[in-house]
Amino acid sequence: MKENIHLKELWNRQQTAIPDAKGILKKAQSFQKKHLRKIIFANAALLLTSAFLIYVWNYFQPELLSSKIGIMLMVSSMLLFLTVYNQWIPLLLSNYSEINSHVYLQKMLKLKKKQAFLHRQMTSLYFMLLSSGILLYMYEYTSLMSLSAVITAYGMTVFWLALNWFYFRPKIIKKQEAHINELIDKLQEIQKQFD
Amino acid sequence: MTFEELYQLYWQKVFRLCMGYVNQHDWAKDLAQEVFITVWQQLPKFKAESSVGTWIFRIASNHCLRQIERDQRIPKTKLPKELPEAHLSDKDAEIAYLYKCISELPETDRLIISLELEEVKQADIANILGMSEGNIRVRIHRIKDKLSKKFKHNEREYTSERTVE
Repeated sequence: MKENIHLKELWNRQQTAIPDAKGILKKAQSFQKKHLRKIIFANAALLLTSAFLIYVWNYFQPELLSSKIGIMLMVSSMLLFLTVYNQWIPLLLSNYSEINSHVYLQKMLKLKKKQAFLHRQMTSLYFMLLSSGILLYMYEYTSLMSLSAVITAYGMTVFWLALNWFYFRPKIIKKQEAHINELIDKLQEIQKQFD
Repeated sequence: MTFEELYQLYWQKVFRLCMGYVNQHDWAKDLAQEVFITVWQQLPKFKAESSVGTWIFRIASNHCLRQIERDQRIPKTKLPKELPEAHLSDKDAEIAYLYKCISELPETDRLIISLELEEVKQADIANILGMSEGNIRVRIHRIKDKLSKKFKHNEREYTSERTVE
């Protein structure tokens, strides 16, 4: 009992100056604004690119179906990315203040596992749609060029796409997965403490 | 209760819980601020199903558990070394030692003992963490036992150091 009182006494001696409540509220508002800005920026960047592609379609009036499918694939890659991104952000930021820590941890673990899976699928799908869109769109315009120009144009594009697919894509996936997997391991370790 | 009142009433309690979890003053302060940001955001939605204290401690515990995301971003080697104890009074050194010992416990044990030392009822701790009351009781007993052993060991070392001096 005496031991207990001693611990409590020591515990309660830890104090810190109370920061101004207004400062906290300001921080809360700037925190919300920062996240909102991030979401707006990602949406604006990809929506503007999509709008530009639609403008190109409208301005150049491509005749072949391949060009139209190409643009549609590129736009859908961006819309797909945005749909998933916009759905994930609120989930990742939610605090679940109404649930106990055990359930909270289970939800976090489930979310991270889903995130790891989605990252891999999404990154590959995004690259695939964008690459095939570009290659299809090019066909109509390169078909009017000389053979050497076609080889140069396709050669350079394919090289760039291959670099993305074989170098940048695995690198991005590996980096994201290493971080998420480490988190998942740690979460599972804490999860065991509840048993 | 208004946010301001809750803030004044619970700031130190939440700070101590965070400090027991991370044992770094600035980090604990940031963490406590994040907790109150959530309290401020969620207060209009708060249903009086549980006491407001249980609700705040639940938010704080969940925020603490979430720190593993931040924990990974700070390389362990770059963490500040322990405070030089020469600058601390005996009492301060004891307080620092208690918080150090708690922060070295497994994550859930840190939360359990912190809530116990904040005099939260065992039934409420069980409710906050999602464990059975029996489990909480046993764990508290074991943690206290572990802490007192560490304290005794530390005192012995401290006394022998003083004798040598």
